[in-house]
Amino acid sequence: MSTPDLAALLHLPGWRGAVRHVAGPLDGPPPGDVVLGDGGGATVVPGAGPGTLLCLTGAVGAGAADAWRLEAQLRRAADAGVVAVLLPAAAEPTGATRLLCSRLGLALLVADEPVLQRALEAAVALAAPEVARARAVRAVSGAAGASAQDGAGFVRLLQRTLDLPVAFLDGRGAVLHRGSDPVPTAALRSGEPVPQRTVLPAGDGGGTLLAHPVLLPGVRAAQRWFVAAAPGWADVEAVADCLAVAAATVAARLGVDRLGLERDARARASLLTDVLAGGDGPDAELRRRAAAAGWALDGWHVGVRIGAPATTDTAGSRDEVAAAFADGGLAPVVVEHGDGWSAWITLPRPPAAETVRELAEDLRQVHRALRRHLRSWTGVGRPHGGPGGIARSLAEATDAAGLAAGRTEQGCFLHVDQLGVAQTLLAWTRTGTFPPAARSLLEPLGPPGSDLVTTLAAYLDQESSLVQTAAVLGVHRNTVAARVARVQQLLEVDLTDRDQRLALHLACRAVQGG
Amino acid sequence: MELTAADVPALVRGAEVLGSGGGGDARAGGILVSRLLRGGSVDLLDPEASDPGLLVSAVGMVGATVVFTEQLPGGGEFTRALDAVQRWTGVRAGAVASVEAAGLNAATALVTALSAAGSPLPVVDLDLCGRALPRLDQFSLAVAGSDITPLALALPGGQVVVVDGGDAVTTERSVRSVLAGGGGWAAIAVGPRPLAELRRHALAGTTRRLLEVGRRLLALPDAPGPAAVAAAAGGQVLAAGRVLEVVRHRGAGEGGFGRGSLVVRDRATSALLRLEMENEYLLALADGDVVATTPDVLAVLDRRAARPVSCDRVRRGDDVVVLRLDAPRFWHEPARLDAVGPRAFGYDVDPVLPGVPA
Repeated sequence: MSTPDLAALLHLPGWRGAVRHVAGPLDGPPPGDVVLGDGGGATVVPGAGPGTLLCLTGAVGAGAADAWRLEAQLRRAADAGVVAVLLPAAAEPTGATRLLCSRLGLALLVADEPVLQRALEAAVALAAPEVARARAVRAVSGAAGASAQDGAGFVRLLQRTLDLPVAFLDGRGAVLHRGSDPVPTAALRSGEPVPQRTVLPAGDGGGTLLAHPVLLPGVRAAQRWFVAAAPGWADVEAVADCLAVAAATVAARLGVDRLGLERDARARASLLTDVLAGGDGPDAELRRRAAAAGWALDGWHVGVRIGAPATTDTAGSRDEVAAAFADGGLAPVVVEHGDGWSAWITLPRPPAAETVRELAEDLRQVHRALRRHLRSWTGVGRPHGGPGGIARSLAEATDAAGLAAGRTEQGCFLHVDQLGVAQTLLAWTRTGTFPPAARSLLEPLGPPGSDLVTTLAAYLDQESSLVQTAAVLGVHRNTVAARVARVQQLLEVDLTDRDQRLALHLACRAVQGG
Repeated sequence: MELTAADVPALVRGAEVLGSGGGGDARAGGILVSRLLRGGSVDLLDPEASDPGLLVSAVGMVGATVVFTEQLPGGGEFTRALDAVQRWTGVRAGAVASVEAAGLNAATALVTALSAAGSPLPVVDLDLCGRALPRLDQFSLAVAGSDITPLALALPGGQVVVVDGGDAVTTERSVRSVLAGGGGWAAIAVGPRPLAELRRHALAGTTRRLLEVGRRLLALPDAPGPAAVAAAAGGQVLAAGRVLEVVRHRGAGEGGFGRGSLVVRDRATSALLRLEMENEYLLALADGDVVATTPDVLAVLDRRAARPVSCDRVRRGDDVVVLRLDAPRFWHEPARLDAVGPRAFGYDVDPVLPGVPA
């Protein structure tokens, strides 16, 4: 690692607030050494050579009366290649002397007493930058070990130690805690759970955004993020190390929480399995367990199935799902179940159609809110009464969710009541055995999407009207008539036979994914 | 040569330049001379061409020049001082010279000569400074190892004090204490001595020099360039531009005089020229580098009128030309330099005299 430059020196723990930059450039080459000199002397300070930081102590010009002496001293320092001069604040120069420093390209710093202490700190930082970094890391790890730190505690600790804007984010990059200064978190790529360094645009103050994910073993997604915005002067390696220490500590803490989470999830899943298997006559033991879990088996149940990709951390995200319901004014039982969540809302008496409609609308809102963060699809079952009603409504909800997955035009949300008989039938066509049969039935007409298959599907949809079919397809009716004749010939079917028509109609829907 | 009222403006302007920012208000002296000259004239003798046996008394004024400017004397003070020292020594002076032919004192020898009873005394173009210097122990006589006493002081209140014996530093101290108790200023006359001695121990031709400088400066057009001003004054430009900063501190200097400092930013190069001043401009640093020091003359001139600006009048924002003029060669000898160089004023630097080959 390179030695700290002047801007970095100004952020040394002892220098912060005690040393001010009053003139000259800060962006010069980093000083290599610290030289002490008596400001009162008129001779060249020994050792004040190229690339040094000259700390003038003693009676540096007793104020403005000796400005000329200070200026002569500064000129000699600049001629010798000194990059910066540190003065006691009592000798802070007037405007003309500051101007001179700018002309000479010499940075001028003033320090509150004791200047010698500041010089010593600079010497240590310049001689061994690793020492400063080690101190920062030790401060973070020490504090982390001393007491269990939560995210907010770490943000405070890191901000104090690093003197940088720091924030603690959730797994998707939303800010949970931050210090007094905002962090440009937009640069975080929350989908890549690896330590990140991003060069910030000048509009965000420049510098580097450092991010470190909080990871749990076996869970691919980042649980949380620590991010810090490091300006040019900052020691990026030290920042990265400190964030890593913080992330490891928080991960250990989350791991403990996670263990409890998984245990609870397993208990809920097994209870649900028993409830589904228990049908309408659960035994006393099952009723007792359900009551202990706060589940009402009696009454009328509306099942909700939320499907999610297999990579989703269902146990870890349960709280978010429950929170989405709560935000929508609903408090269902939510159980991690397979690739997603099964939930149901229990009502004391059979709901009116209007109530069901309103409930479905609320659930749609919940689903929308959830989809902002989570790729998911939701099905809602009809209300069913009694302990077995849970299983029945959830089964309908699961069927509806299966259909909803492919229905992006409906927002991946389906309510069984709105499906109708035909769609239920269509759902059946999606079973494993039907599509291959349908494909082989229509094979002689060519691949799905070919003219003949399309024409047949449209013809059946339009109740065998040549005119309507021609209008839908945008071709002449004679073309339709010719194609229909060809279909009958190739498939050796009679389209006036209603059984054959139905079979073909279903087959068309199956192969066309409608 | 003969000096008439027509020469007074040039005399004043040149005296201001050699005042190096101090030496008092030369215009006050000019007014006094003009009043006494009327249609007449004064003989200005070339010291080399005059009788070596001629007895000459150096005269002038010491003390707070501000008081002098506020209430002009009648001229009688100078003859009283001369009479007193003549009585004390029993020697009559055949001519007068100036203790300091710069600033206000450029005119006082002429005033003394014109105020003498009977016909005016001739004035020898000799003085004891060659520029403005603030202390009696810096008189060339003292520095060259000769006595400056006996000398007589005529105070504005009518008192006459004769100081005799003691070294130059003691004399300076005595005179200051008398001035502190008696009106702040006094006419001074140094005991007459032969011109031959003064030729060795004094500076010749200062009045002629300042007359030439004054004439050339007055002949300049309005708002001349810095180079033209320097050429007219016979010096070099150190900086030309605005005064950025003026700082004054009371009683910080060697003799208890106030110290001050000003910074001029050169318009062409943006270089920062710092001038350190006491009663006079004494030290010049360009970007922190010492480029000129006393005893060279440092003059600050208003850029438009090419008129010198004194230490007590210079203000922030003034548009000025800063010049360096060679000191009289008399001061270049190392032992003499110690008496008038920067260290004599408490500045811990070696003299930098660009006109002198190192």
